Amino acid sequence: MSEKRIKRRSLLKAGLATAVAGPAVLGGAGKSHAGPEEDAVIKAGKKLGGAKLNGMMWGLYWRNYPDLNKEFNKATGISMDKVSDVPNLQIPQRAMAEAITRSGKFDIFHVESMMIPSLAAAGMLEPLDDHMKSVGFDLKMVGNFETFMQYQGKTYAMPTDGNVCPQFIRKDLFDNPDERKAFADKHGKPLKWPVTWEDELEVMKFFHRPDKELYGFGGLRDKANSSFWYWMYLYSAGGFPFDDDANPTLNTPAAEYAFDTWLARKQVSHPEAAAWGSPQMIPRIRNGKIFSCQYWDGIIALIESPTAKTKTRGQWHYGLVPGSKFSGRLIHRAFSAPVMAMVVNRHSPRKKQAAAWAMYMSTYKNSAEVVGHPLFTFHDPWHPGHMTDPQVTKVYTKAGIKSVEDNLLVTCPPPYVTGYQEFKEVVDRNLSEAYAGRKKGAKKVMGDIQNEWAKIIRKVGKRKLKREIPFYKGMMPKVDKPS
Amino acid sequence: MATATIAQPKGRRSTRARGVRVFKWSVLSPLILLFAFLIPVFLLQIYFSFHSWTVYLSTWFDAEYVGLELFQEVLTEGRFWRAMGRSLLFAGLSTLGCFISGFILALLMYKPFRGQAFFYILFILPMLTVPVVIAYTADMLLYEKGPINGFLSYFLPGDLSKFTWLANPDVAIFTIILLEIWNWTPFVFIIMLAGLSSLPTEPVEAARILGANRLQIFREIQLPLLRPVIFLALILRFLEAMAEFPKTWGLIQGGPGTATETIPIYLYFTTWVSFDISKGAAMSYVVMVIMIFIVLTAIYVLRREKRALDALHETSRAEA
Repeated sequence: MSEKRIKRRSLLKAGLATAVAGPAVLGGAGKSHAGPEEDAVIKAGKKLGGAKLNGMMWGLYWRNYPDLNKEFNKATGISMDKVSDVPNLQIPQRAMAEAITRSGKFDIFHVESMMIPSLAAAGMLEPLDDHMKSVGFDLKMVGNFETFMQYQGKTYAMPTDGNVCPQFIRKDLFDNPDERKAFADKHGKPLKWPVTWEDELEVMKFFHRPDKELYGFGGLRDKANSSFWYWMYLYSAGGFPFDDDANPTLNTPAAEYAFDTWLARKQVSHPEAAAWGSPQMIPRIRNGKIFSCQYWDGIIALIESPTAKTKTRGQWHYGLVPGSKFSGRLIHRAFSAPVMAMVVNRHSPRKKQAAAWAMYMSTYKNSAEVVGHPLFTFHDPWHPGHMTDPQVTKVYTKAGIKSVEDNLLVTCPPPYVTGYQEFKEVVDRNLSEAYAGRKKGAKKVMGDIQNEWAKIIRKVGKRKLKREIPFYKGMMPKVDKPS
Repeated sequence: MATATIAQPKGRRSTRARGVRVFKWSVLSPLILLFAFLIPVFLLQIYFSFHSWTVYLSTWFDAEYVGLELFQEVLTEGRFWRAMGRSLLFAGLSTLGCFISGFILALLMYKPFRGQAFFYILFILPMLTVPVVIAYTADMLLYEKGPINGFLSYFLPGDLSKFTWLANPDVAIFTIILLEIWNWTPFVFIIMLAGLSSLPTEPVEAARILGANRLQIFREIQLPLLRPVIFLALILRFLEAMAEFPKTWGLIQGGPGTATETIPIYLYFTTWVSFDISKGAAMSYVVMVIMIFIVLTAIYVLRREKRALDALHETSRAEA
């Protein structure tokens, strides 16, 4: 790692010298930028022959790639020629439409990795292992995180966005001596970083001051996102949504505890949270109107990046999410969803070139440029190298990047099985009903989810799910807490 | 001479008849072509609705035949009927709202006045706005401490700063209805303005000479003459409202919970979120049958109105 850093520094120096020397020298800057990993992909790409690729990626993600795309095109003749600008939430539907029609029109889809089982089951995804092997490309991700790119042991995607949710706590309030004293006076114990969800709720209640436009909790509770937080509570309670025979286990005490924990945050949330997604919540976090939350790590960059225009730079603590002692031991579990990744269409006549293109974008150096962009912060760190990369650290801060790494080590996916969208829709809808007060009680809500899941399991195929569950289980972190 | 005079109109008639035939076919051909392309889609939909297939189960032509099972599932499902109820509530109330406001605007606008063109453009602007943009704009305006609540607080008693338009499941559907009314009032306004402008002036003048006041003229003469136009506006608006999707989806995806889940939203969830293509196909056929029933009723009502109007014309002509 240190060797890489030295190389990078010398590269920066060389870049500076080149810029001073003038445009003639600048022409060679692209070449000097490539390392052995990039060279290997370029070499393999050249052999494949040029191709004009057609991809689908949200514009807010694509804006980090045009320079790298030009660079790869110049070196290999392979380029992403057309990019359909489609928001993340719509891409699974488009990808599935391609799985049905098998038109081969799109070469690459930038889609959430939880869709991998469903898209693979629909026969749309090209396994990338052979392509990686032919190039000598080794995909490295923090901890167990690379399983998010796999399905039944095969790699199907190249990551672009880590998207883990660390703990955010307002530093200026949390460290304020008057606040600390007031908390100690009220609770008879010192104010500490919350270790459990119950601790967090207690602290959030203390700082929940709606009359001053400060709300205790800033997680999402709308219909589209409700379930993400639920999984975190469930896994930390030692729960898991299926048994080994692919029966749903959402009427268990752990599942009901997770529901209660999820719903308890309503008392410290904004009254409109039931209808708020990120477009409404992110400005509130950035403006310091939230005391505590678990939120996507890109917000750290959005707040802390040197070029970010924000009122709360330096006013946040970032750290490990709380855990739960429900199972008898303290377990910390974060969540990563949606983890955005590039998948290659198996029906594309240009799939080899598409795989090479995706690999080139996911090398350590290139991905560090992407996730370390000071302004376009939609892509978040995932590579072990990102955790010490100066460019990335500058944007996320040292404390921020440490929290990203810690949470990545205990991060979990939502149900990583075929039918993910159906399972998610049921949980989202029922939780949203409960949040809106239309359904009451953990037993009723979780019982309804359990019954609806049983139908989905029948539809997807119990035998199929039974085969998938061991891999899903294997994606769970191996430690209760990052060391 | 006599032969020539008879022969000439015959030739002209046959030329005209040929012209009419050519015109008819030129209009019909694209429609026939369109139907030819649609037939395979309909057939595929029928196939899916009788076969249980999701995208995960091999290829679609290997799907298992399940007969009417999926139709039965849809017809006995509480969620479907609740969504249908919401759709009817949404379409009914929004149509009524659009009609009242559109008609009032048309009544205010149908007599020429200075600056009429400006108001005309102003009033049709909402209809020209993209529904998704309306959804996002509304999202910003309807915020708890946002401009709408702020504005209303000046005129209404009580603390409106805590009124939630979208997060409250009992209110959310009415918020979407209000947005629909704002969006589509211009549609009714244009139709009613055209209807009012095309009314014959003689009966109104006659009534005025006989001493009728404005309200009597409106109620006894204009309104009956406008009935076919009114029904047309109501029917078109209702059918359009039944299919509303972008605003509801853009704002709250049918939430909170299922508070705003109408038929188009539920169909989308079934087909493109749950990827249950077969159930989606069966559901769309059920919806289609319901919509056909509504359209046939509408056509029947329109025909009846037209007949009544024709009879009225005949009577007035006979009296004249």
